[in-house]
Amino acid sequence: MISYNTKKLDNLTVVNAAEKAFDKTCITAEELQQIKVAYPVDLYTPNPYIRIGLFVLTLVCVQFSLGLFGLIFLAGGEKTMAGLILFYGACIYGAIEYMIHQNKHYKSGVEAALMWMSGGCVIGAVFILADTHVSLSGMSLLFLILGMLFVIRFADVSMSIVAYLAFLTLLFSLFMHSGRMVIPFMLMGASLIIYLLSRKLSTIHVYRHYVNCLKVIQVLSLITLYLAGNYFVVREASNEMFDLNLKPGESIPGAWIFWIFTVIIPPVYIFTGIRKKDSILIRTGLLLVAAIVFTIRSYHSVAPIEIAMTLGGIILIALAYGITKLLLPSRNGFTSAQTEDDKTDAIQLEAVIIAQSFNQQAPQGDQFNFGGGSGAGGGASGSY
Amino acid sequence: MFEKLQQEGLISPDSTEKVRVLSRNKLFSLHWELKTILYLGVLLLSGGLGILIYKNIDTIGHQAILAMIALVSAGCFFYCFKQKLPFSWNRVAAPNGFFDYVLLLGCLTFLTFITYLQIQYNVFGTRYGAATFFPMLVLLFSAYYFDHLGILSMAITNFAAWLGLTVTPMRLLSANDFSSQRIIYTGIFIGLLLVFTAYMGDRLDRKKHFAFTYSNFGVHVFMIACLAGLMGNGLGDSYERNNSYLLWFLLLAGATAFFYTQALKKRSFYFLLIVALYGYIGVSYVVVRVLIAANSIEAFYAGLLYFIGSSIGAVMFLINTNRRLKNV
Repeated sequence: MISYNTKKLDNLTVVNAAEKAFDKTCITAEELQQIKVAYPVDLYTPNPYIRIGLFVLTLVCVQFSLGLFGLIFLAGGEKTMAGLILFYGACIYGAIEYMIHQNKHYKSGVEAALMWMSGGCVIGAVFILADTHVSLSGMSLLFLILGMLFVIRFADVSMSIVAYLAFLTLLFSLFMHSGRMVIPFMLMGASLIIYLLSRKLSTIHVYRHYVNCLKVIQVLSLITLYLAGNYFVVREASNEMFDLNLKPGESIPGAWIFWIFTVIIPPVYIFTGIRKKDSILIRTGLLLVAAIVFTIRSYHSVAPIEIAMTLGGIILIALAYGITKLLLPSRNGFTSAQTEDDKTDAIQLEAVIIAQSFNQQAPQGDQFNFGGGSGAGGGASGSY
Repeated sequence: MFEKLQQEGLISPDSTEKVRVLSRNKLFSLHWELKTILYLGVLLLSGGLGILIYKNIDTIGHQAILAMIALVSAGCFFYCFKQKLPFSWNRVAAPNGFFDYVLLLGCLTFLTFITYLQIQYNVFGTRYGAATFFPMLVLLFSAYYFDHLGILSMAITNFAAWLGLTVTPMRLLSANDFSSQRIIYTGIFIGLLLVFTAYMGDRLDRKKHFAFTYSNFGVHVFMIACLAGLMGNGLGDSYERNNSYLLWFLLLAGATAFFYTQALKKRSFYFLLIVALYGYIGVSYVVVRVLIAANSIEAFYAGLLYFIGSSIGAVMFLINTNRRLKNV
């Protein structure tokens, strides 16, 4: 199954847990040292920033090599080219296995770059061979197979996203012509099943190395479960794809069902999350509350935007204040205080986000930029 | 797991008990969720008030809104002055979870207020610089006095805006016209100043933890301005005899070497990465330019080979540096 040495991965888990316990002064330095000796880890995992660098540089290297080979075989025609790309993709796959077994790379950034390139090459080659006439279902099936292969062999998180989305696209494309009315429900059902399945699998010992992939799948499936039933998504998507020609103000058949889903699902997530103390459910639920607001505002203008923003801001601040006071110092196992995680990085990130969302633009000429609120923003990622 | 480690004799029963107690009493933290809600609230409230006053600028109601904004701002600052812990040149923790956001709200509403005054009453006359400069001083003061990194980065973007450069992270490239010499020199100047401030702050032990924010902005602005200067007149062609771009390249190389040693000294993987990537872009540009000037098919192949070889070299370099930093 997994390409990595599972013994080493288990050792890594032990050492990580021991280091955490050491940080909280539960175990002594000697004990930590003993554990490290008894559970040796020789996997190569560089610092996260270095990983980004390795990822980018590997992409550069692989692409230019492909360009060089392509140039040499340029005269061979389309079929030769496709064969070459396919072969190249297979070689890259071999390179990943080699890196893992010989150089002990483990999530070093190099493998991820090679995975994307390898998958990209295979898909590109199929595209050329089929003369770009590939059906949606065929394409998504190919994505699904490749994604699953990379997930199973390398437990890669980004590939699990690819595989999951490909799976949903495949389902969608199969039902596109026969039963368009059932598509939203079918997608919701599939998301729910996948969610429950990935929750179940993440507790099973055999699948312990896939925990991160399964977590991402949980988040994704919760989101797609909501989106498949969201009024805005269903209305606009069916309008777009099935030529309903809806005019503003007109609605889709059975709209009330979707309105119920739109409003009910996020609170359900949040309450279930609080009951089960599941941060994935809570966070996804909170995120989707924003989707409720967006959906309602798209069709019903409750108040002008500035009033809505001001009131919404006051409500959110009051809500955060209320919950914090309620959880002071802690209640039913919940706390508003920070527990463990190292916070220096998060604070730096916060500073970047603040600078981004309240942006100060240089005045152009003698024009004046109305400062204060530039609204939106807030979702800026920390890196450039 | 720790029971198993105990059985293997790797840790003492005492330690196992500590781990057990800790994991039994583990609390579920809603810290970041609450912070995000609070942040969004501040964002919406200040944005909403800003638009509110903008839309009502010619009506009777705007003075009431203005008074409300002033009140909110004054109230926030009043709260901060009352609640804050004594000032120190070191890191000062916020007295409670709300302090930072109250300060943020105060600063944002203050900015709206100043901007409004300028538009409506022309307080700063035609000296538009002053209208940016004055809020910047207030932001800078608040950042140091109340110890707030977010406000500090707002002060930095405001300072750059005062000099005519947009340094908002995601808009650094899109909002500036880097073909203008003035912008490039301004960028170089701001970058140097920020890096210098970070260096001195660190050296003189004045708010040492601000150094990262200063140098983060500084290094990016400086390197991008440098690259813009380097690439100023496109890729050139075979007839070109103007080699002034090499001066920019020397500057870039010098800066890369300097920032690299600094990053090693500070053991910062982040700066190491960005400096290495900026340097790599610069070198690659010069190589491509030289090859284009050669104008032949061999040069094209050489270019491909260069990228393959250099990227492998850069990978090796990063891997080695990573090892070196880890072992220090």
